[in-house]
Amino acid sequence: MNWIRLRLGILAGLLLLAGCGGRGEFPRRPITLVCPWAAGGGTDRVSRQLAVHLEQELGKPVNVINATGGKGVTGHRRGLQARSDGYTLAMVTVELNMLHWSGLTQLDWRDCQPLMSINEDYAALLVRDDAPWHSLAELEAAVRAQPGRLRASGTASGGIWHLALAGWLRQQGLAATDVVWISSAGAGPSLQELISGGLDMVCCSLPEASSLYKSGKVRAVGVMAPERLAGFDEVPTFVEQGTDWSLGGWRGLALPLGTPPDRVEVLERALRRVVTGQTKVMQVLGDGQNHPQTFPEFLQAQGFDSTWRERAEFTEFLAAQDDKFGRLLTSDAMRSVGRDPFPAWAFPAVVSAVLGMSLLALAIGRIRGESSTQGATALPWPPPRRGIIHLGAVLGAMLLYLALSETVGFVLTGGAVLLALLLLFGTRWRQALLIALLVTPAVYQVFANVLRVPLPRGLLGW
Amino acid sequence: MNHALLEAIRQVCSPDVLLVILAAAVYGIFVGAIPGLTATMAVALLVPLTFFLDSVDAVAAIVTTVTCSIFAGDIPATLVRIPGTPASAAYAHDAYALTRQHRHVEALTVSLVFSVLGGMFGTLVLVAAAPLLANVAARFTSYEYFWLFVLGLTCAAVVSDQSRLKGAVALCLGLLLSSVGLGTDYARPRLTLGIEELSTGINFIPAMIGLFGISEVLRNALYLKTQRGEGIVDRNATREVGGEAGADRTKGASEQDEEAGKRGLRRAQREEKTVLGHVLLMAVRRPGALVRSSGIGALVGMLPGAGADIAAWIAYAVSKRFSRHPEQYGHGSVDGLADATGANNAALGGAWIPALVFGIPGDSVTAIAIGVLLMKNITPGPEIFDSVKNPQQATLVYSIYVAFVVTNLLLIPVGLLAVRASSLLISVPRRVLLPIVVLFCLVGAYAMNASYFDVGAMIAMGLLGFVLESRAIPLGPVVLGIILGGEVEHKFVQCVTKSTDWTAFLNSPISIGLAVACLAMWLAPLLMPRRAPKQQAVLNDNG
Repeated sequence: MNWIRLRLGILAGLLLLAGCGGRGEFPRRPITLVCPWAAGGGTDRVSRQLAVHLEQELGKPVNVINATGGKGVTGHRRGLQARSDGYTLAMVTVELNMLHWSGLTQLDWRDCQPLMSINEDYAALLVRDDAPWHSLAELEAAVRAQPGRLRASGTASGGIWHLALAGWLRQQGLAATDVVWISSAGAGPSLQELISGGLDMVCCSLPEASSLYKSGKVRAVGVMAPERLAGFDEVPTFVEQGTDWSLGGWRGLALPLGTPPDRVEVLERALRRVVTGQTKVMQVLGDGQNHPQTFPEFLQAQGFDSTWRERAEFTEFLAAQDDKFGRLLTSDAMRSVGRDPFPAWAFPAVVSAVLGMSLLALAIGRIRGESSTQGATALPWPPPRRGIIHLGAVLGAMLLYLALSETVGFVLTGGAVLLALLLLFGTRWRQALLIALLVTPAVYQVFANVLRVPLPRGLLGW
Repeated sequence: MNHALLEAIRQVCSPDVLLVILAAAVYGIFVGAIPGLTATMAVALLVPLTFFLDSVDAVAAIVTTVTCSIFAGDIPATLVRIPGTPASAAYAHDAYALTRQHRHVEALTVSLVFSVLGGMFGTLVLVAAAPLLANVAARFTSYEYFWLFVLGLTCAAVVSDQSRLKGAVALCLGLLLSSVGLGTDYARPRLTLGIEELSTGINFIPAMIGLFGISEVLRNALYLKTQRGEGIVDRNATREVGGEAGADRTKGASEQDEEAGKRGLRRAQREEKTVLGHVLLMAVRRPGALVRSSGIGALVGMLPGAGADIAAWIAYAVSKRFSRHPEQYGHGSVDGLADATGANNAALGGAWIPALVFGIPGDSVTAIAIGVLLMKNITPGPEIFDSVKNPQQATLVYSIYVAFVVTNLLLIPVGLLAVRASSLLISVPRRVLLPIVVLFCLVGAYAMNASYFDVGAMIAMGLLGFVLESRAIPLGPVVLGIILGGEVEHKFVQCVTKSTDWTAFLNSPISIGLAVACLAMWLAPLLMPRRAPKQQAVLNDNG
C-alpha cells in the first residue's frame, strides 16, 4: 500500500514539475489563436493551417479556439479584448468592418492592432446549371422584369454576400429588395437550397462553391473582383460585363491594443515568413509522396486567394474598407436590407404563451389533487438538512471556480474545489489530498498537450 | 470497378493503415468519452496530423475517429448521465437508468454492439445507394427541412407520453432558451436581459452538460450519506446524523448504489461473456427494429444540417411508438437505447453521401474531411466515382467504404476494452466520484469555446435541471428544444420570406410524407388501444 502511495506521490510531483515553463525570449508558452467562426468552415481551416506554420516558426504550440456566435461579434471581441501580452492572436474577418455599422457592437478596427491580412475572397454570383441566365445582363433583365420574384442567399441577411448582391443591384439603379434575400447559415446550406430548386441564385465566394462548380452543377455568372481569379480564369468579372462593382471578404490577423511593440515585431516577422512561403510543412499529396508545402501553396490548393498585406498597408486597407462599408450600410437603400424578414418577437411570444398555458394547466391539476409526480421519478421531499449543505457547497464551489480560475489558474482553483468537495463528502484527508494532487495536474496536462485546449493559466504560470 | 475495390481493400488492410486506424480508434474513444469535446473537435484536432498521412490513411483516420467517438459518447452518458457528445443525449436518461439498476455492463455492451451494427448498416447504405440517395437529399428545400425539424420536435411528445403537460413545459423552456441571442434571421439579439454575453445565445454543449450532468450531481449531493464509504466504516465520518426522515426515504437511491458498486462490478465481470451473447441474441431477435432505426439514422445523416444527434432522437421516438413496452422508455429501456445508439452511428455513413456526390458536407465532420481531401488535391464531386477517368479517386472512395467496415469491426475489441475499463468507475465510491465529475463538467463546459460565460451557463442549467427534475419534469424535451428550436424557426422564416403562400408548405411529396409522419407520431396513442400502464414495476426498478 505504502509503495503505491509513494509512486503516486512521485507521479504527482513530476506532473507538477512538468507544468513549470522555462524563462527566455517571447514566446515562452503556447499561443492562442481565436477564430470567430465554427470548426470545419473556411476561416477555421485557414486558421488551423496558419497555426501549424506559425508553430513551426515560433517554436511554441499555437492553439486554435473557435469562439462562435453573434454573427462574429463574440469571436472578434474575445480575440481583440484579450490580455495584450501577445499570447492571444485574433483572426479577424471582413465582419470587423461591418458589425459596428449595424450597431451590433462598439468594436471596430480602431480597437485592434492590425498585424497582416492573409487572403481576400471576392463575391461571385452562381446559378443552377439549367438556369436561363448566362450573363450578368440577362440576369439583370430578369430582375428588372419581375422585381421581387427571384430569390437569393449565401449567408445571413445583412452579411457580406448579401451586401455584395445588394450593392450590385443598387449600382444598377435597382432596389436592394428587388431580389428577395433568404437568410441562411452560410454558403453550404445555400448551395444545397440552390440545387434543390429553393433559390434562384447564390452569392458567395468561388472557393466555397468549388466542388459544385467544378462538377457543373452550378454556373458562375460573374465574380465581383477587379481581375479574374486564379483557378477560375473562365469566370468573367463584373467590371468586364460593364458594371463597376467589386466586393469581397478578407481575413487577417490582429492583436489586442497595447501589445508590447517588441512582441508585435516577433509575431509580424514570423507571420511574414509564413505568408511569403518561407515556411514549409510536410504534406503527403494524392500521389503518396511527401511534398513540403508552404502556406500560399495550401491556400491555392484549397482554392483560396493568397493576397496578403503588410501591417501599414493592412491598416490603410481597414480604414478604406470601413468607409466603404459605412457608406453602403448607412445608405437609405441598405437600411431595408437590415430589416427583419419576420417579426423577431413572434416565436418567443408563441412559445411563452404555450409555456404559460401549460404551467397554468399543471397548477390547476395540482389544486384538483392530481398527483404531481405522475410519469417520472420525483425527488423525495423534504431533503435531509445535511444534503442541503452539500448541495450549497457544490454550487458554491462551482461559482468560486468561475470567479477565480481566470486569475488564479486552473490547477490551483480546480485542485482546491476538488479537495474541498472530497473532504466535505467524507473522504479522508490523505486520500483527498492525493486525489486532488494527481487529478488536477493530469487533467491540465492532457487538455493542454493532447487535446490542445489550454485551460486557464494563473499565478503558477501554469 | 472491382479492381478499384480490391485495390482499396489491399490499401486499407496494409499494416500501416491498420496501425493508423487502431491509434485513431483509441484517440476517438478517449475524446468522445470526455464531455464537452465533440467528434467534430476530435477531427479538427486531427487535421495537422493528416498532413503526414497519405489520402487513404487520412480518410481512414477521420472515419475511425468519428465512429469511435460517437460510440464513446455513450460511456459517460451511461455511467454519470453526461453525454460525451450531443449524439448521445437522446438516450442518456435510459442508459443511466440501467446503470442505477446495476446493469451498466449490459447498457454499455448494447451501446457497443448496436453502434457497430448501425455503423455497418450506414456503410451499406452509403455503398449501395450513395448517388441515388444524394438525389433525394438534393430535393430538400427549406420546406422539407422545416417538416423534418418539426418531426424532431414531435419526439418530445412521444418521450413525455405519460405527462404531456410536463413535456410541453419542458419543450417550451428549451425552445425559449434556444431563441436567446442573435439569430441568423434577425438584426438584433433577443431575450438577452441586457446581458451582453447572452447575445451569443446559450451554447448547446454546456447547457447539455449542466442539464444532465450537474443536475444529477446536485441530486446525489443532496442525498449523499457521508459515513457510508466503500462499505468499510469511515473513522472521520462523525458528521452524519442518522435517522433523518428524508435520508431514510432515499436509502434506495444513494446507499444502495454505493453498496452495490462492488457487488455490481463483480457480477459484471462474471457476466461479461454472457452479456455479449445476450446482446447479440437481442440483435438477431429484432432485425426489423435494427433496419428501421439504422435506416432512419442513415437517411437523417445524409441531410446537410441534420446529423447524428437528431437521428438518435427520431429513432428513439419511433422505437417507442413501435415498442411493445413503451412504458419502459425513460426508465432504462434496452430496446430504446439499442435503436437510438444504432441510429447515430448509421448517420455517420449517411453524412458522406452528399459529401462524396456533391461536395456538400453532410455534417461538420465531413466538412473537415473535404478540406483534408482538397489538401491532397482530390476534389469530391460526381467524377470521384468515375473509375475510368480517375482510377485513383475511385480507389479512395472504396477505401472510405472499407475503412468504415474495418473500423466498425475493430470497434468491437477496442470498445469492449473501453467498456471494461470505464466500468471500473462504478466501483469508485460516490464521495470521490462526484467531486471529480464536477471538475470534468467545469472543464468540459469551458473546453468548447474557452468561455467562462459557458461555464456560468452550465451551472445555471444544472440548477434548472435539478429544479425541473424535482418537479418531475423530464429533461429530454428541454434538450431537444434547445437543439431544434433555432433550426425550426430559421427554416420557418426562410419559408415565409420565400413566399407568402401557405400551401407551399405542403407542395412536395416529401413535405407531405414528413407532415403525415408528424401527425402519426402525435396521434398513434389515440389510434392504438392503450395497454395497462406497468409503471409500478418500473419505478421500483429505479430504486
